[in-house]
Amino acid sequence: MSLLELKGVSIRFGGVQAVKDVDFHADLGEIVGVIGPNGAGKTTLFNIVTGFYSPDEGTMVFDGTNISGLKPNALTRLGMARTFQSVRLFNAMTVLENAMVGQHTRTKAGLTGALIKGKATLEEEALITAKAREALGFFGQRLLPRQNQLASSMAYADRRRLEIARAMATEPKLLLLDEPAAGMNPAEKEQLIEQVGRLRDEKGYAIVLIEHDMPVIKSVSDRVVALDHGIKIAEGTYDQVASNQQVIEAYLGKAGEEARAEMDGEVSL
Amino acid sequence: MRVPQAVRAGLIGGAVVLYLGAVGMLERFSERSIIVGLIRFNVVVMAAAFFVFALFAYRRASGEASTSLGPGITAGTVAGVTTGVVVIILSLLVDAGVDVRSMFLRISPAFFEAVTLGTNPYIGLIILAVMGALMGAAAGGFRRLAPTPRTIVVTVVGTVLLLGLGARLFIPMLQGLGIPTAWLYRSDALTILGAIIVSVLAVVIRLYLRRKGGFRKALVEVPGVTPSNVRPILFVLGAIAVLAAPWIGKQFVADVLGTVGLYILLGLGLNIVVGYAGLLDLGYVAFFAVGAYTVALLTARSSSMVGATIFDLAPEPLTNFWVALPITLIVAVVIGILIGAPVLRLRGDYLAIVTLGFGEIIRVLILSDWLKPIFGGPQGITEVADVPAFGADTNDPRVLYYLIIAFALISLFIAGRLKNSRVGRAWAAMREDEDIAEGMGVSVIKYKLLAFAMGAAVGCLGGAFFPAKLGVANPGSFTLLVSINVLAVVVLGGMGSIPGVIVGSAILVGLPELLREFGEYRLHIYGAILVMIMILKPEGLIPDKRRALELHADEPHESVGPLTAAATPGVQ
Repeated sequence: MSLLELKGVSIRFGGVQAVKDVDFHADLGEIVGVIGPNGAGKTTLFNIVTGFYSPDEGTMVFDGTNISGLKPNALTRLGMARTFQSVRLFNAMTVLENAMVGQHTRTKAGLTGALIKGKATLEEEALITAKAREALGFFGQRLLPRQNQLASSMAYADRRRLEIARAMATEPKLLLLDEPAAGMNPAEKEQLIEQVGRLRDEKGYAIVLIEHDMPVIKSVSDRVVALDHGIKIAEGTYDQVASNQQVIEAYLGKAGEEARAEMDGEVSL
Repeated sequence: MRVPQAVRAGLIGGAVVLYLGAVGMLERFSERSIIVGLIRFNVVVMAAAFFVFALFAYRRASGEASTSLGPGITAGTVAGVTTGVVVIILSLLVDAGVDVRSMFLRISPAFFEAVTLGTNPYIGLIILAVMGALMGAAAGGFRRLAPTPRTIVVTVVGTVLLLGLGARLFIPMLQGLGIPTAWLYRSDALTILGAIIVSVLAVVIRLYLRRKGGFRKALVEVPGVTPSNVRPILFVLGAIAVLAAPWIGKQFVADVLGTVGLYILLGLGLNIVVGYAGLLDLGYVAFFAVGAYTVALLTARSSSMVGATIFDLAPEPLTNFWVALPITLIVAVVIGILIGAPVLRLRGDYLAIVTLGFGEIIRVLILSDWLKPIFGGPQGITEVADVPAFGADTNDPRVLYYLIIAFALISLFIAGRLKNSRVGRAWAAMREDEDIAEGMGVSVIKYKLLAFAMGAAVGCLGGAFFPAKLGVANPGSFTLLVSINVLAVVVLGGMGSIPGVIVGSAILVGLPELLREFGEYRLHIYGAILVMIMILKPEGLIPDKRRALELHADEPHESVGPLTAAATPGVQ
């Protein structure tokens, strides 16, 4: 049985069938790329898996647990972590503190711990700091030297890296990355490809990533899943999916429609 | 037409002075002397207005104009002339039999006297123009002063104003210390000789400290003080000052400081909810009321208490303050969670409005006829027993002051510990981005309820001392204004900042108490100070480290990333 197993998952927002009858799975130590045109339902699928949306139909099993209806914080505890399409850090907290929040579900000091601040709490705080530093350290000298800066003061690529580090600090089994290469330059993309590979090889995570950048998908993915209009239209190696007729139509057809719409617009003007 | 900056600043300055006069402030201020027979407070305020707007004129000036005295003199003179001309017009209208006061109630003979410094409007115009020009020139000169003379000027003006305005605070304090005050003060104002002596003293001390590089470094030169023990020594000195204050300053000081202490308690509580967890609560007065009424119900002798009305018990207090206090804490935490639970799903503006409603609901409930048998309706609960404090007489405000200070210290400790903990981090994450905090494993429901409960617990302590202080709890003390005041304390001091709460309380609660004699104008002054601080220091007076970084950090990368993502609900 796979680490993450989705069967027949659907969700509808009003009249829009955002995700329809999708089967999906991911295993430890593999990288699954999710592609599809804009509005294909990729991020919606992420939001369903991570508990931000509740699916209308379908079953979801993660690490042997039925996760339908679980809240995001419960899923984090089970071993799921994600990043966001638009970088969303805790801006008024420092880089280190951002990563420390990631350790939340792995630690337990509560009100009494905070007030009494006994040996156990102090040790736990030290552990949280160490784990957070370790996560920052994954990105070499990019984050660690800036650990006391505010997250909002970081360069864009570093903020994306910090999002991944924060997710790593939750000690996940499954890592979901939503367009991690967006806005990065070619050199940064190269680094990202190498780092995502290392996350799989060194940490053994199952990694699912949404990406529009086809060279990135081609380089990192062990398996690729293509979505269109909320439906899974293809699955397989990158080459298999890239040569799939439905996938080509999804991308080209979309472009064709846009071109037509533009022409219509000019006529009506 | 383009009006030169200096003239514009002057016109605004004139308008400000006229406003202060028209609302009656100058008239009231003229009753108060800073230095006997020499400077009245209304003159200080007018001169300060001219000075400030002359400074504005320089700020906009550039090149040669910024180094000459021109802009300031222009602005000051324009301000003075504007004021004077309007005063003449008003006086002509009055002479012509127009009833100016039907609209401007405060345009009385005393107004003319205060603005024209006791002369007639025509001489007044000349005086105001000259005063404006002089202040304008002074502003220009002040800008170009070297650091040392500038320090001297600021020290002299500051010392004289502080001692002059605070006469009613300092006279009893000095007498309490056994220092004769006749040489320094005469009828609530400084004597000329006294003003000179204290100014010289202040300047000498200030320059000495400057040469030593600050108070701390100067202190290290005292025998027995080393850099390593300077902190504890400062702490002990501070503690002695806090403990001795009510003995030196008699009842008045104890009262004022006690009220400041109450607001520190309330502010620390609200700071947990608003500053730490980012939940804008506009109904915080609810917890103040809950604390006050629970203590009052349990310790009052009056016939309105539950025991007497419902259980037909003799009108005796059910228990004493120390037993009532833990019960009050529990009640407050329960009500905090009850109020928190229905608003868990609400954010930002919506949360603020609903909590505002809850605050009002509590007030209306205690005011209602329906619950009058318990809460006593508009009269409230009277005959609340004093706090039994180790045999001491708690009618003495000093005992209550110590109790409040003790609880404020406990709350300071709790607030500090909470902030730098796993709990504090979870709150901060929630404040920054609720969705993402949940995505990182923070149980938003749990931590929101925890914030409300902790805020309620600390806030109710303030409430608990309130009836003990006044001997009565009535609905009039628990209005929306209290919620707003406490929020102002938190925002002014700096959201999430603990020292900020202390400074905010001292300024917003202590200062108005000292200015109480100015009665209705307290809120004017209060408002002006609030606006100025929020313009000049939007992050608060003593900002939280993180917030200060945020508001003043250079953020060259901000435009690269997608903006305002956090403002949109849902997850992208």
